[in-house]
Amino acid sequence: MPALEHILVVNAILFAIGAMGVLTRRNAVLILLSVELMLNAVSLNMVAFAVYGHVDFGNITGIVFAFFIIVIAAAEVALALGIVVRTFRNRATANVDEVNLLKW
Amino acid sequence: MEDGVTATQVVFWILAVVMLVSAIGVITAGNIVYAALFFIAALAGVAGIYLILTVEFIALVQLLIYGSAVVILILFALMLTRARERPQALFGRSRPLGIAAALGLMAALIGGIVATTWTTPESSSAIQPVGLQTIGDAIFTIWIVPFIIVGVLLSIALDGAIMLASPDEDDN
Repeated sequence: MPALEHILVVNAILFAIGAMGVLTRRNAVLILLSVELMLNAVSLNMVAFAVYGHVDFGNITGIVFAFFIIVIAAAEVALALGIVVRTFRNRATANVDEVNLLKW
Repeated sequence: MEDGVTATQVVFWILAVVMLVSAIGVITAGNIVYAALFFIAALAGVAGIYLILTVEFIALVQLLIYGSAVVILILFALMLTRARERPQALFGRSRPLGIAAALGLMAALIGGIVATTWTTPESSSAIQPVGLQTIGDAIFTIWIVPFIIVGVLLSIALDGAIMLASPDEDDN
C-alpha cells in the first residue's frame, strides 16, 4: 500500500488543479468538469482515511461518504447542465463572464 | 513499506501521474471535446486508485456513474452549447491570478499535510481490505435514512433538470 501522506499529497495536487480550472476557464461546462475533479480528490481522500483507519477506529464512514458524494455529484451535474443549456438558449453563450443577468 | 518499494506502490504512482497529467489536460486543452476526453482518463485514474485502496465497490460506482453517465451528460451539454459563429477564448482575463491562487492553495495544502504527523498503522499488513459486505451492511443499517434521502434527492434533481432544460410552451 502507498503511504497515506503520498495519497493525500496527490489528492491535494488534484484538488488544486481543479481549483485552477475553476478559476481560469470561461466555459461553464469546463468549469463544471474542474469542480468534478475537486470532488473526486475529496472523495478519494475520504476513502484513503477510511481504508487506513477502519481497523483502528472500527468504522468505514469515509467510504459511505464517497458513495454519497458520487451520487450527489450526478444530481449536481444534471442540474448544472440543465441550467447551462437553458442559459445557452436564452443568451446564446456558455461563457460565465458573458452571463451577467444578475448584475446590479 | 517494510520491504522497500512494492508493486502496489509502483502502480499507485503510475496511476497518480496519469491522473494528474489528465487533470492538467482537462484544464489546459484548447479543444473542449479533448478536455472531456482527458476528464475520462482522469476518472479512470481515480478508479484505479480506488482499486489499489481495495474498495472495489467505490471503483465500480465511479466507473458506472462518473465514467459513463456523467461523461455522456457532459459531452451532450458540450455539443449542445457550442457557439459556432466565432472562435472563443477558452480562458478568462484573470487567468494569471487564478493560477497563482490555485498554486498558493496547493502549497498550503501540501504544507499542512507534510507538517502533520499521521498515526497510520506501521506495517502495511495492518491495513485490512474493506469487504463489499461490510460496505453494504453500513449503508443499509447505519446509513439507511441518508441513503433513502439521497435517492429522493437524485430523482428530484433529475426531474428539475428535465424541467429546466425543456422548452417553454410559448417558445415555439
